[in-house]
Amino acid sequence: MTKIFDSGNAACALAVRDVGVDFVAAYPITPQTSVVEKIASYIAEGEMDAKYLPVESEHSAASAVAAASAVGARVFTATSSQGLLYMHEILHYAAGGRLPIVMANVNRAVNMPWCLYVDHQDAVSQRDTGWIQLFAASNQEIYDTVILAYKVAEEVQIPVMVNYDGFLVSHSSMPFETLEPSKIQEFLPPLNPAWRLHPQWGGTFGNVTPSEEYVPYRYALTEDLKKAGEVIMRCLKEYEKLTGRWHGGYFETYRPEGAEYFLFSMGSMGKEMEIAVDLLREQGIAAAGLRLRVFNPFPEEELAALLPAGAKLLVFDRNLVYGSAGGALLQLAKAALFNRRDSLQVTGISLGLGGEDLPASVLVAKAREMMEVCK
Amino acid sequence: MREIRIHGRGGQGVVTLAELLAKSAIKTGLEAQTLPFFGVERRGAAVKAAVRLDHTPIKVRSQSYKPGILVLMSENLLEIGLADGIADEAVIVVNTEKPLPVDKRQWLVEAEKIAVKHNLVFGGEPFINVPMLGALCRVLDLPFPVLEETLQEQWSEDKAKPNIAAAREAYNTVWSAGQAKEENSNG
Repeated sequence: MTKIFDSGNAACALAVRDVGVDFVAAYPITPQTSVVEKIASYIAEGEMDAKYLPVESEHSAASAVAAASAVGARVFTATSSQGLLYMHEILHYAAGGRLPIVMANVNRAVNMPWCLYVDHQDAVSQRDTGWIQLFAASNQEIYDTVILAYKVAEEVQIPVMVNYDGFLVSHSSMPFETLEPSKIQEFLPPLNPAWRLHPQWGGTFGNVTPSEEYVPYRYALTEDLKKAGEVIMRCLKEYEKLTGRWHGGYFETYRPEGAEYFLFSMGSMGKEMEIAVDLLREQGIAAAGLRLRVFNPFPEEELAALLPAGAKLLVFDRNLVYGSAGGALLQLAKAALFNRRDSLQVTGISLGLGGEDLPASVLVAKAREMMEVCK
Repeated sequence: MREIRIHGRGGQGVVTLAELLAKSAIKTGLEAQTLPFFGVERRGAAVKAAVRLDHTPIKVRSQSYKPGILVLMSENLLEIGLADGIADEAVIVVNTEKPLPVDKRQWLVEAEKIAVKHNLVFGGEPFINVPMLGALCRVLDLPFPVLEETLQEQWSEDKAKPNIAAAREAYNTVWSAGQAKEENSNG
């Protein structure tokens, strides 16, 4: 265990080094760039025994890691914004192919207009590709979540996207601790896939199927994704037992005792929200923070079970669902509570797009506006 | 929480200054965070970075609006620095020879002269981030040996040596100009 003071991107690259990835293919894009720069330098300097394939685009990066994963390699790629969108087609391939790929997505607004700063439109617009999506809000959480992602991906055979906010986390330095190789090996055994492509074994992969073969395959993906939540929780507890580190389960809850208003958000905003909750509590308002860590599979039952009678859910979305009221979290929360907790009030707003700054004072003001709606 | 915001120009090593300050503070048992702000600009354009220090883990994930310490790599960044906001009781740490015309407590350090004296000149430009760091550590009451250790860890012995000497000189010569009163006809 080494104590480090470095950026979120450095925490991500160190985790990739420490889990023993075999193959990396990536195309640089702001604000992801330093992740793949650092990994390339670990490989060049012999600190990491892996093959790095420089490619001409994100579509090729995703294709290359999918192919390498299919032959049994432990793989990694990273991207942001337009790069993630350019991967879209291959994201479906990867999930459908049940390939345990881990990718870091450093959240950034999408074009046009052109913008370098954070929001979650990139990740949210890839929700329905069949990937597990996790969100981290500190550099320690990034390091730990990347390691967890491999464990989960390899067990459920579904690719995992680890998201964290561009610049606010990716370029912000904070203290964090790595993990000794022996502990990582204890947690994450060597990759031993149930099948893999091999020239001597023959066979085909991803061939044309008639409906009767296609349908059960697709249903299996969605059913296994729903069950992946339990696997994530079990792996988190194992990791906690091994390391003592805990960032929350599906959610990180903050001051839920006696709370009436639950301020629901995702990403770095959820960490700043804790300051907003403290300020609201000082104003005599029974507020709590609820930071979502597992965006997909969305923890519907857990959200419904977590909220006490009479709770009011205030949803802060760093994304838009165009043409609808509010963002993705608001829609998912409403769907989760419908028929389960119909008596609860839910309202939400979209904010913080394109890096619009969200200091606690703004979050408090927005929460108070939403409280008026919930009265 | 103590908040410091550093204003400089692209290429001056502002982000490195922020990182080295945070690493020094951590050695005294503090929690630290740096948050650089990158515009779409390039070398020579105005850049800034925040450093936050506290006794508990730092939860802030937003820009710096009311720093208690404003650091200016040159006096011509005063307007830009003030426009981004400072705390009422903020002090300014600035690379200059004489006090700036502003009603704030100021710490002055001749960082450029110190950089030239210790041969921290690259491509014809004096590199002032380490002297500024030395001055800033003095203002924050961080003991010099802590800074010295950080600089030794940052570079090889050859490269660390002139940097440590420059940081020490800045640490020892930075001076407080007190309340530099400016006539304010607006009252």
